[in-house]
Amino acid sequence: MPAATREGGDKPVTKRKRPENGEPSKKRRKSGEGVDNDLASQIQVLESEILESKKHYNNIATLIEIAAKQEDDTEAALTAAGALGRVFVRLLASGSLVRRQDASEKDATVTAWLRDRFAGYKAVLLSKFKTNGPALKALMLAMAVLKAEAQHLDGRDEATFPQSYFKKIINALIQSPFEELRQAFYDNFIVEYDDIRFYTFQAIADILTEDDQPEDETFRSSVFGLLLRIEDVPGSNEELSDFYVDPPAKKKHPLYLLSQHKKQAQEAWLAFINLGLSKEQRKKILQIMATSIAPWFTKPELFMDFLTDCYNSGGSISLLALSGVFYLIQERNLDYPLFYRKLYSLLDADILHSKHRSRFFRLLDIFLSSSHLPAVLVASFIKRLARLSLNAPPSAIAVIVPWYYNLFKKHPLCTFMMHRVPRTKEEKELVESEGVLDPFLPEEEDPMETRALDSCLWEIVQLQSHYHPNIATIAKIISEQFTKQSYNLEDFLDHSYGSLLEAEMIKNIRKAPVVEYMIPKHIFTEVGPTAAPEEKNSLLVSLWDFGPS
Amino acid sequence: MPGSQLKRLKASLKDQGIIGAQKSKKQKRQNAQDAKGTSDKRLLRSEALESIREQFNPFQFKTNPRGPKFDVTTLRPANDRASKGIHGRPGVAKGKGEERRRETLLVEMQRRNKVGGIIDRRFGESDPSMSLEDKMIERFTREQQRSHKKNSMFDLEDEDEEGTEELTHMGKALKLRGNELLMDDFDGEDLPSNDDSDDGMHPDRKSLKRRRPRGDDDGDNDDADEDAKQPEKKKTSKEIYEEVIAKSKFHKFERQAAKEEDEDIITELNKSLPELQALLFQRQKPAAKDGNDERPSATIAGMDKSIVDKDYDLRVRLLATDKRAQPAERTQTEEERAEEEARRLKELEEQRLKRMRGEWVSDDEDEDRGDTAKKQLAAADEPVFDPFKSGDDDEFGLGKGIKLRPTAAELGFDDEDDFLIDDDLVASGSEIELEESDDMEDDEESDDEQDSDPDDDEFVKGLLTAAESKDSVFQASSKEQGDDKDGVPYTLNCPQTLAEMVETFKGVDVTKLPVAVQRIRALLHPKLDSGNKERLGNFSQALIRFVAYLGDNLESGWFPTLENLSRHIHSLAKTFPIEVAKGYRAHIQDIGDNRPLALTVGDLVIFTAIGTTFPTSDHFHQVATPAILTIARFLGQKIPQSLADYATGTYLSILALQYQQLSKRYVPELMNFCLNTLCSLAHQRPQGNLGFFPLHEPATGIRIKGARKTTVRKLNCAHCQPHSQAPTESEANSLKVAIISTTTAVLKAAAETWCSVPAFYETFQPAARVLQHLTSKANSAHMPAALVSKLTDTTSSLARLLQLANISRRPLELHHHRPSAIRTYVPKFEDSFDPNKHYDPDRERAEGAKLRAEHKRERKGAMRELRKDASFMARENLRVKKEKDEAYEKKYKRLVAEIQGSEGQAANQYEREKAARQKKNAKARGGW
Repeated sequence: MPAATREGGDKPVTKRKRPENGEPSKKRRKSGEGVDNDLASQIQVLESEILESKKHYNNIATLIEIAAKQEDDTEAALTAAGALGRVFVRLLASGSLVRRQDASEKDATVTAWLRDRFAGYKAVLLSKFKTNGPALKALMLAMAVLKAEAQHLDGRDEATFPQSYFKKIINALIQSPFEELRQAFYDNFIVEYDDIRFYTFQAIADILTEDDQPEDETFRSSVFGLLLRIEDVPGSNEELSDFYVDPPAKKKHPLYLLSQHKKQAQEAWLAFINLGLSKEQRKKILQIMATSIAPWFTKPELFMDFLTDCYNSGGSISLLALSGVFYLIQERNLDYPLFYRKLYSLLDADILHSKHRSRFFRLLDIFLSSSHLPAVLVASFIKRLARLSLNAPPSAIAVIVPWYYNLFKKHPLCTFMMHRVPRTKEEKELVESEGVLDPFLPEEEDPMETRALDSCLWEIVQLQSHYHPNIATIAKIISEQFTKQSYNLEDFLDHSYGSLLEAEMIKNIRKAPVVEYMIPKHIFTEVGPTAAPEEKNSLLVSLWDFGPS
Repeated sequence: MPGSQLKRLKASLKDQGIIGAQKSKKQKRQNAQDAKGTSDKRLLRSEALESIREQFNPFQFKTNPRGPKFDVTTLRPANDRASKGIHGRPGVAKGKGEERRRETLLVEMQRRNKVGGIIDRRFGESDPSMSLEDKMIERFTREQQRSHKKNSMFDLEDEDEEGTEELTHMGKALKLRGNELLMDDFDGEDLPSNDDSDDGMHPDRKSLKRRRPRGDDDGDNDDADEDAKQPEKKKTSKEIYEEVIAKSKFHKFERQAAKEEDEDIITELNKSLPELQALLFQRQKPAAKDGNDERPSATIAGMDKSIVDKDYDLRVRLLATDKRAQPAERTQTEEERAEEEARRLKELEEQRLKRMRGEWVSDDEDEDRGDTAKKQLAAADEPVFDPFKSGDDDEFGLGKGIKLRPTAAELGFDDEDDFLIDDDLVASGSEIELEESDDMEDDEESDDEQDSDPDDDEFVKGLLTAAESKDSVFQASSKEQGDDKDGVPYTLNCPQTLAEMVETFKGVDVTKLPVAVQRIRALLHPKLDSGNKERLGNFSQALIRFVAYLGDNLESGWFPTLENLSRHIHSLAKTFPIEVAKGYRAHIQDIGDNRPLALTVGDLVIFTAIGTTFPTSDHFHQVATPAILTIARFLGQKIPQSLADYATGTYLSILALQYQQLSKRYVPELMNFCLNTLCSLAHQRPQGNLGFFPLHEPATGIRIKGARKTTVRKLNCAHCQPHSQAPTESEANSLKVAIISTTTAVLKAAAETWCSVPAFYETFQPAARVLQHLTSKANSAHMPAALVSKLTDTTSSLARLLQLANISRRPLELHHHRPSAIRTYVPKFEDSFDPNKHYDPDRERAEGAKLRAEHKRERKGAMRELRKDASFMARENLRVKKEKDEAYEKKYKRLVAEIQGSEGQAANQYEREKAARQKKNAKARGGW
């Protein structure tokens, strides 16, 4: 707790200094420097007076006033806030803010007044979250005061977490326009302390379920940002041992239970998802769902509807939802009707160009890895991807073909797509005379009905003359003998134009490259009328205008 | 069989005829006559005795208890020992061991705890790891060092002799140890030795002589020598020193004699000095260096020898470098020349085809692809696809890919095939590279010398004529001196970088740049200066960047210049292929790093130049492959935002297609881009799915609208440059029409190029649909009639091609491979099987087992030896103790006997005395 210790460290120093040279320094500063220092020293005097006797409690109000006036003098406001923080921490520690039954009326009034001032001070602190400079300091002060309050406000020995105040802090944090502030809160408190994380989830869930929460987008995105950060789920009850405020004595307190932590997180997430998501947020959630959100859930089934909706919505959202759906299928035994049909429909024109391609292929590989799938279905996937590969980037083709190889190994029936000898003489004659029309039905949505098994992979044979030599070589593996057990797909995923180019460019030229023997007479200019008859305009010259324009 | 051992011995002795009944004299005589010689007889006799001895001591032999093995069970030749089944002779071995122990162990035992004696300090004597030769060499060097150190003024020996001192053993030079014969020859030498000089002496003889007095210096050898030479008597040290002194005196005398002789010669020469001087000055030579007087310079036919020599050398060198007469090449007839040209072209075309198929033409083809390419090739050629070789994770040369997450291997999970791969990689890695590097350099050299230079010259010359014919200005310019009238100076510095080049060509009109470049090339012809080669290499790289620079700042009418410069680069590439390729690759790298999707006109020009300079039909080419990859990257990934993007893409489509004109390789991105362009420019968004190509929604204002009146033009490079201000509507429309028209033409050309690909129908079906969409009423209303008719033309020709493609298509039959053989597991039959041998197919394991067995055997042997040593020692100790005890006992007994003797004597004496006294007493008593 960096803030708290710093606070504690400051106190004795200031205390010791003040009686000795408070007065002379004040004078010197007054004469030497400007108004700022004047104010600063004034704050110091006020603070020391408060601590000296109860008479000067009115100074608190003055200090709060100074602290609240942030627009003209942030420096002084911060100093005042710091001084107030120290004052209140001391007052809390001395029990001045504790309501007592046996207190006299006068004392009770003083206590009530102090409590009012304390509430005012907290409000001032939270209001500072909105300005850039002092926000971080204010957050630290707020958390320090929170700790003191938890310890001493009730007057009991056991600390009680001031949930309502914490909720206000979280609310102010979310409303703050500064992402760094939330990052700092995450780094300094959420990562460090289990109880803070617990109450943060709780506070977020509360805030989100309240009716009067603002509808604007920034609010949501900041909540989202905060939730996204909280990733690492503790493994067991024993790991829950770091507490900011002294932990409750009761052993069965929810703070000690992992399931309760998870429940809070789940509620916070559900509350957030129920708000309705933007497309980007939805994508982000889907991306990290299986890895970082689902572990927080005690009942991941609650995601089912969300995921199914996403999966059915099509486009890249469907792609991303696939991993979540897979997680549920795997972990929760989700039964998804017409799963393969849906999967088949995902293979559209954009899939091979999508940036989630390798992610998709990893999952597709898993879904089609069962050797108990009908060959007709597998053939449909193969043929559909072959069609797509005619318009695919080289990096996609590099994945598809080795994947085919693995599938052919698993489903030998599909190898008819590579090798189909006409069985009867009539059939042969028919082929000779009329050629072959591809029987594959590309528009068919049911992968069991596409007749892909009767088709051939002409597309891949065409890609054997791909412009990129390595891709052409890869495409050739389907016409080689199938002697290898399988290809490791991981070697072929994660390529791109950039990486392919890089692979070519890092090789140094050692051997002189072959140079065209003939130096062409014309590159950009047209062949003149007097030129030899065999000289022709190149394609470029005939289609492009290089003349003076 | 006789019962007792003795009887049997007697019987066998009798059998052998060693003992027997006494022979009569007659018999004896006859025997003596029969026998060839007595020695022979004795030999026979001793042999017989030996065999009887062996026979009668069953413990002398270790035999096989079950008798000898049958012959068939072993391959070893059956000698008589084996036939008797004797494995060894424990008695003999024991005796030998005992003997050896007595020699070594016993000596050690006796020397234990004793001080003194002679310690052998000879170097390496107690170091068993040194071989005899090493020991000798080491000793020799030590000795040399020692003698070197001892070089004091009081050393009696001459120092110059030490260098020739040789290590001898038994009077023979150790150097010649392996060559005894040669040595002997020298021993019986009859060389004429000039006794008056030490230096002339044969080293061996001298060393023999020297050896004696230095005896105490070189320890071991000379001790041995002494023993060998004079076994009969040892010299005392006094004698030795006397001898040494006598020797040195003798040498001193010799030296003195030699010196006197020299002085005699000098005085003689001094006398004849005037004559010599006359001779010397006659030749106008400086007097010979002092001290040279005694050696008059040799003359040949009155000339100084050195001059003659020099002259001779010069002549020889001239002769060597003289060009020999060579038969002039016959002037060829016109037909012959044409034929040769045709043959050459055919050869080149064949090579090109080979490269296109990805086969490697003998040695003059790229090996840059390295292992992967070779492996691919091997995989393609071999009927059996090697499963292990292709297990490489980068077998297809795809590179590492994007690093999104660590691969399994990086996380430490090994691929099951990993070790096999490693093996393969190692095998084909470094060695080949090493070999290649040498060859390559040679190749380059020879390439430069043979092929390129004539071409180069031709180009430099021919260029001018070509330029002259094109432009009359050139004619004028070439005749003037200094700066010609276009401001092209005749001498230019050779710019090495782009900045320098821009500076150099500042004052030169762009259209006149080829002249300047030509002049630079002429000035820096590689034959003129050795540094020119490097300079021209840099120049060509700078020129590439300069062309790109010109392209970026393109003005109308520069294209002839760019063409000319590109051709210059091409001709430079013939001489400097690596430099030019590096230049182009650097440019491509620059594009890839900085602007993969924002190509400039300069990049387009560079790509065009690459397409003409390098064979784009090659399966792999160091420059062409990255270039087409970069082009495809733009076509595939660029989402066009403006008309300029569409124009750039169209240019690249044409270029990509032109790259593939010969090899007819398929470029998917080209189709994507063209179809997307057409769909984007169409007035209406296409309804429904036209095909599997990715469709991008165009930016606003891209769709064509109301361009009915526009004329159809060609595109030009100015259209590719992004404009700062938006073009007017008519301009934009004209541009759109031009793009559509060009794209359609590209599609048509593509269809013609790829008409034979197997999936032609699937590839161009979407194109046909898109064209149909464009010619539909709603769209054609917004396009000029000429364009629409062009579109319909293309559509119909495409439809025809599609139909053709369907008819010519056949089902795939890819796997008519020869079935791979099933692995046989029948064990190999060993012809010469030996049960004692181990036939482990795993070499390492077999060697390991062998080593282990040897170790075990040695261990057992050592333990046995140690045990025997211990028992020997115990036995010896016991013997010593017994001896000691016995001696003690003897001594004790002797002493006891002695004492007893003396005691007995004393007792007797006492008795006697007593008796005598009694007698005396009795006498005395009797006397009383």
